[in-house]
Amino acid sequence: MEPKFNLNRPPINDEEINSNKDFGELVKKFKQQSIRKARQDVSFLKNKKVTYSSIIAGVAVICTVTYFSVFKKNPPKETSNDKITTIQNGSSTSQTKSNKAFIAPPISKLNVPYTSYHVKAEQGANITHKLSKSKIIIPKKAFVNKQGQDIVGDVEIRYREFHNQADIIASGIPMQYDSAGIKTHLESAGMLDIRGYQNNEPVFIKPNKTITVEFASSQPADKYNMYVLDTIGRNWVYTGRDNSLKGLKKQEGEKIAKEPEHNLDSPKMMALQKQIDAIPPKIETEKTVYEKKINQLPKTTQPSIPNKAIAGRPQFQLDVNYKEFPELEAFKNAVFEVGSENKNYDSKIADITWSSANVSEGPQKGKNYLLTLTLRARVEKLIVYPALTGADYDKALKSYEAKFADYKATVAKREATEKKLKEEFEAKQTAYTAELKKYNEDMVKERVRMRQQQEQELADEFSTLSKEQAVTRIFNISNFGICNSDCPSSMPKGESMHPVFITNNGASFITPHNTYLVSHSKNVVYTIYNGSSLSYDPKDTYSICVLASNGKMYLCDKQTFANSVVATKQHKIPVTLLSEEVNDAHDLKMAMGI
Amino acid sequence: MLLNAAYIMEFSPRYHHTAEQLHSEQLIIEAAKLNPEHFGPLYDKYYKQIFGYVYQRMDCKDTAFDLTAQVFLKALTNIEKYEYKGVPFASWLYRIAHSEVMQLFRTKKNLKTVNADISDLRHICEEVEEEYMEQYKSILMTVIKELPEDDLQLIEMRFFEKRPFKEIAEILNITETNAKVRLYRILERVKKTLTKKSK
Repeated sequence: MEPKFNLNRPPINDEEINSNKDFGELVKKFKQQSIRKARQDVSFLKNKKVTYSSIIAGVAVICTVTYFSVFKKNPPKETSNDKITTIQNGSSTSQTKSNKAFIAPPISKLNVPYTSYHVKAEQGANITHKLSKSKIIIPKKAFVNKQGQDIVGDVEIRYREFHNQADIIASGIPMQYDSAGIKTHLESAGMLDIRGYQNNEPVFIKPNKTITVEFASSQPADKYNMYVLDTIGRNWVYTGRDNSLKGLKKQEGEKIAKEPEHNLDSPKMMALQKQIDAIPPKIETEKTVYEKKINQLPKTTQPSIPNKAIAGRPQFQLDVNYKEFPELEAFKNAVFEVGSENKNYDSKIADITWSSANVSEGPQKGKNYLLTLTLRARVEKLIVYPALTGADYDKALKSYEAKFADYKATVAKREATEKKLKEEFEAKQTAYTAELKKYNEDMVKERVRMRQQQEQELADEFSTLSKEQAVTRIFNISNFGICNSDCPSSMPKGESMHPVFITNNGASFITPHNTYLVSHSKNVVYTIYNGSSLSYDPKDTYSICVLASNGKMYLCDKQTFANSVVATKQHKIPVTLLSEEVNDAHDLKMAMGI
Repeated sequence: MLLNAAYIMEFSPRYHHTAEQLHSEQLIIEAAKLNPEHFGPLYDKYYKQIFGYVYQRMDCKDTAFDLTAQVFLKALTNIEKYEYKGVPFASWLYRIAHSEVMQLFRTKKNLKTVNADISDLRHICEEVEEEYMEQYKSILMTVIKELPEDDLQLIEMRFFEKRPFKEIAEILNITETNAKVRLYRILERVKKTLTKKSK
């Protein structure tokens, strides 16, 4: 039925929308729903059929337990902590029927084996997993037995890791994830299985103790969550965001921030820097000493040459304080001629008896003066030139010549001393500059040497990293079992089909038990159970692994899948029997071209 | 130019969050997991958006309000299972809303409605590089009504609700590229039909 089409429907206003909001009603409904659910659970337990079934089941369990305790002395046991349990126990142990259905390695020889480590429970241990270089940090007194009593002595830690799609398939660990009814698969950044035993009896992690695994992951993205596998609930349990990379990035950031300090770690560079830092103050000190010496040299003032009075120019005779104006000493008995620059000079000024007359420095220092004449409120200012007449001039000239000769000698002496001091200062400055240059050159050489050394160290470190791990993910484990750093990934969308698996060029068909669609663009395996349709994104790369109902495994590699399925959109998928030479998960990875 | 019409914002402030906002929201969610009373801020924040999403797909206002209430009840019931995936909480609510709407339409098919403005149809024409003509209106309406549900949803989200591709991708749990490619293909088909039927 085609939907109705409304064009330009009037919008609803916010007021109307808000009037329908009722959070109180929502919470009330939620609580009623919870109560109803709880009652249903109770009434279910009260149901007679359920009661009888429970009794029968209970009797059956008692009988089974009795049988095992009487006839089976040492049945293989699974490690179990609360809800989180796993059943896979290496290749040598049997599995319970229910768990076998949940975690079922398709072919036992391919299963990822455990590596066994031994720890003194009272001492704890830091174990480096030899296959991946992951670190397992076990605190002291971390284990209890099933009675909750502390364990001392040797504890066996069985540990294994799953890094890629082949590991996932080989282990048989289900990667489907149900989140609020939305079914997805988990894209893995790494998964681990850890458990502990003492004398073949499972041990448990003590409450408030945590085993930390610094997991060497090859998936560097920061998008994963932490999950633990609940084998009873048959689902993964979300435990939180995987923030271990944030911590790692922070550490890397700190490392980078500290790098310049690291550069100065060279003792030679530190010594050089000290010497370099010491030179500018030395130069500054020398400069200060030099300037001080210069300032201390005797100062002298050039004597002024006496002026001869010019007839006809207006003149004043003044009583001068020669201490205040020593250069006028040469003008004892001098007259002051009114300069031609006094345009408004009135000869009547000379006729006035002024109450005061002050001489101050004129516009041309040492040559002219400012004469200020005051009478009550009247003030006249004149620029005047000292001048001498007759014998006074001759005497002044003689005195001037003698003083000028002294002056010249003093100046010459001062210039010679100044030159000498300057040369001394410049010689020292040059020596210090040369010293500084040498230190700087040594510093550059040392820095280059250090940089090369660091680059080499970084290259070595990077090489080690690329060989061993891309990132470290931190798992804090409070219960033994399987945990992973994963993120949900929906089934690919694009093309969908009901596959038919053919072998021998279509001569025979195989009946699949489980089909694993392996994405080559991300670390995820989509499990398709018998009868379900298979969907894929034609732009992505996939291979297929099929566990047939006859227990054999078949592969369709990515090239075949691309050519025979994606390109042709046909439903027949050609598969080949897994080679007998494939003996473990690593061989499977190679065979799948991962 | 296909898929690049300037009128569609590539950033939606009603949906997109800064890292700090995401963190604050995460704290509220964690609190709501412990006590449903703490769900209030999320209810207030997203009620209008979710109602808008639901009402966009139907004609009956009362049904849309009832269904919105149902969406939030379901969200509150399942909040314990919610896990942060680096996208706003809204994307989870939209998915519940989509699931509820689809469930309703499975039983009551006549409730399904496409709601658009004439300007939206113009924009679709612009996207397929066709000049809008009055005759296209009825053709487009027919073409859109006949689209498969998944395709219609993309058209609704992109053109009628004007959502950026990033937001569409997060709500539909697909990649942004995938959303673009899918919409491109739908528009190609729309273009072909328009050309064919208008002749």
